[in-house]
Amino acid sequence: MTRIQRDTLAYALIVLASVVLLAWAIPKYTPPYPGYGASPALVPNVAVAVMLVMAVLAIVRTEVARRRGTRLDAEKSEFPEEGGGTGFTQVGRLDILHLLKYMVPAALFVVGIHTVGYIASALGFMLLLQYLVGARSHIRILAISVIAVALMYAVMRYGFGVPIPGL
Amino acid sequence: MEMILAGLMDSLSPMSLMFVFVGVATGVAIGAIPGINGPMAIALFIPLTYYMSPLAAIGFLVGLNKGAFFGGAISAVLLRTPGTPEAAATTWDGYPLTEQGKGEKALRMALYSSVSGDFISTTVLVLIAAPLATVALYMGPPEMFALISLALTVIAGIGTKSISRGLVAAAAGLLVGMIGTEPVTALPRLTFDIYQLESGLSLIPVAIGLLAFSEILIQLERLRFGAGADEAARNFSDRPEDRFVSLKEFFANTKTLLRASAIGIGVGAMPGLGAPVASFLSYDQALKRSDKPEEFGKGRLEGIASSEAANSAVVGASLIPLFVLGIPGNLAVAMLMGAFMIHGMMPGPLLFEENSQLMYGVFGSLVIASFFLLIIGRFGLKLFCKAVQIPSVVLYPLVIFTCIMGAYLGQSSMFDVMVMLVFGVIGYFMRKFDFSYVAFLIGFILVPEWERALQQVVITSQYDTFMFFRRPVAVLLMALTVFVITRTFLVGIRKKG
Repeated sequence: MTRIQRDTLAYALIVLASVVLLAWAIPKYTPPYPGYGASPALVPNVAVAVMLVMAVLAIVRTEVARRRGTRLDAEKSEFPEEGGGTGFTQVGRLDILHLLKYMVPAALFVVGIHTVGYIASALGFMLLLQYLVGARSHIRILAISVIAVALMYAVMRYGFGVPIPGL
Repeated sequence: MEMILAGLMDSLSPMSLMFVFVGVATGVAIGAIPGINGPMAIALFIPLTYYMSPLAAIGFLVGLNKGAFFGGAISAVLLRTPGTPEAAATTWDGYPLTEQGKGEKALRMALYSSVSGDFISTTVLVLIAAPLATVALYMGPPEMFALISLALTVIAGIGTKSISRGLVAAAAGLLVGMIGTEPVTALPRLTFDIYQLESGLSLIPVAIGLLAFSEILIQLERLRFGAGADEAARNFSDRPEDRFVSLKEFFANTKTLLRASAIGIGVGAMPGLGAPVASFLSYDQALKRSDKPEEFGKGRLEGIASSEAANSAVVGASLIPLFVLGIPGNLAVAMLMGAFMIHGMMPGPLLFEENSQLMYGVFGSLVIASFFLLIIGRFGLKLFCKAVQIPSVVLYPLVIFTCIMGAYLGQSSMFDVMVMLVFGVIGYFMRKFDFSYVAFLIGFILVPEWERALQQVVITSQYDTFMFFRRPVAVLLMALTVFVITRTFLVGIRKKG
């Protein structure tokens, strides 16, 4: 999928989400007008309308450019980070597997705190995370995990008096 | 006068001094690590400030921000890897000096320039913020509504090349900021029957997710391409002339420092421009006005002075719109605004009326932070240089772990951790698709005030449609908003031919 196709798909999703918000979510989950002041739905509707108009304009602009045969910026710099540039843009291809690689352990850590307690789940999380990032020295992985988990526990529990769930 | 002295005395209390010192030292260390910048550090450390007094909290965060600005120069000079965009211009002359074995000298020049720019800018802030705030007190709800509308429009351009994407992001931020209890009816709005959402989304998990967690996800991705791989910092020469900046060398750059500071102050005081603009503009001016322009880019101290003084001058000046109008001009200031709100204060002209002692305490802390930056930088330079050598495989897991526990710390809530993870993913997508997370976050922070102003206008005007037209300042601000949007679109269309 090219960048322009992906961007168009993103705008289409924004249009869809905006329509759902305007037609269903905002009317259903906004309090009724109390009879004075601005309606509680006014600002949400304005915000969503801005999103909708901008997304539609972007789609129209892409379509007009395609028919005229002109190139948009997104076509001129296809995924800049792959061009070897040193700019600060973070535009790039999505890597869902990469995302899942870190999000799944994080979600498991959240669940783990409730079920097996902070120390066990945090230790497991830190060990796994370092391995996933690319650390291979077992002693260093273990040492960093133990120190980080213990230090965080001490700071939270004794420094700030914050109760840590599952412990 | 009594308030001013009491505030300044507060800033000199041991506790306040300690937090400012720790903030500056932590900021320099964090800023030195490529990929971690000031706003991200503030997001990570805001949860800790829950447990501090308001002055200590603001002093700590301000110190953190100032330290991180200078810290960015360390990786720029030693690794040619500017941790933040504003340090990019420092790289051009800093790294060639490192290659010549004069890295320490380059860093010292960066430090002195940074402190000079920061000190001048802080002085200007102290001198003009309170008088300007007195004038701003005459602004009523229509002016505030119009001003925030203008700020949102200007800010939509930050962090993206496309104003339409910026507006989408700002509007999304407004929408997410409206989740919670509606201010007039006191009933839940957009909560989707999730009771934890009734009090609204807390700034801390949203900011940590958008700024820190998503950034680390991107950095981890880049590790695979080899970018950001660890490089050894060069060795420093032992010759004194290669290590130290003489007084003669420093004062030879006085004009450059003053010009750079003026540029930084001007740019910082205008919402939406930010430190990178100041830094590049100042470097360009220094190059054009230099006696030896051919030496720029080859290790000229003047180049470092122009870039560092300008970007550091932005720090103090960017607090002017925050303190005077309650408008955050950039991300770091938006995070500071969040910190003020967490401590029960709303930045804006009333801040000087309601918390004058605290505000003068903050001014004191700002000045003290400049001195601490000089001391910490002067004596701890070599130590902070070690920070650039922390291996990514150690650093990134620790930052992710801190993100999760930091999100939990704010309200001892696992729901907040889940919110942080969700916004981490949202931030990842926003960065990949070039939607400005900066505009999103500022929209999220500003929406309660914007809606409050709107409600006040509607209620007090008794539905008088022409209310705005009787307020010339509001009309002017709304006209400017329309002008900014129209001009941006017209320029965009013209560029595309």
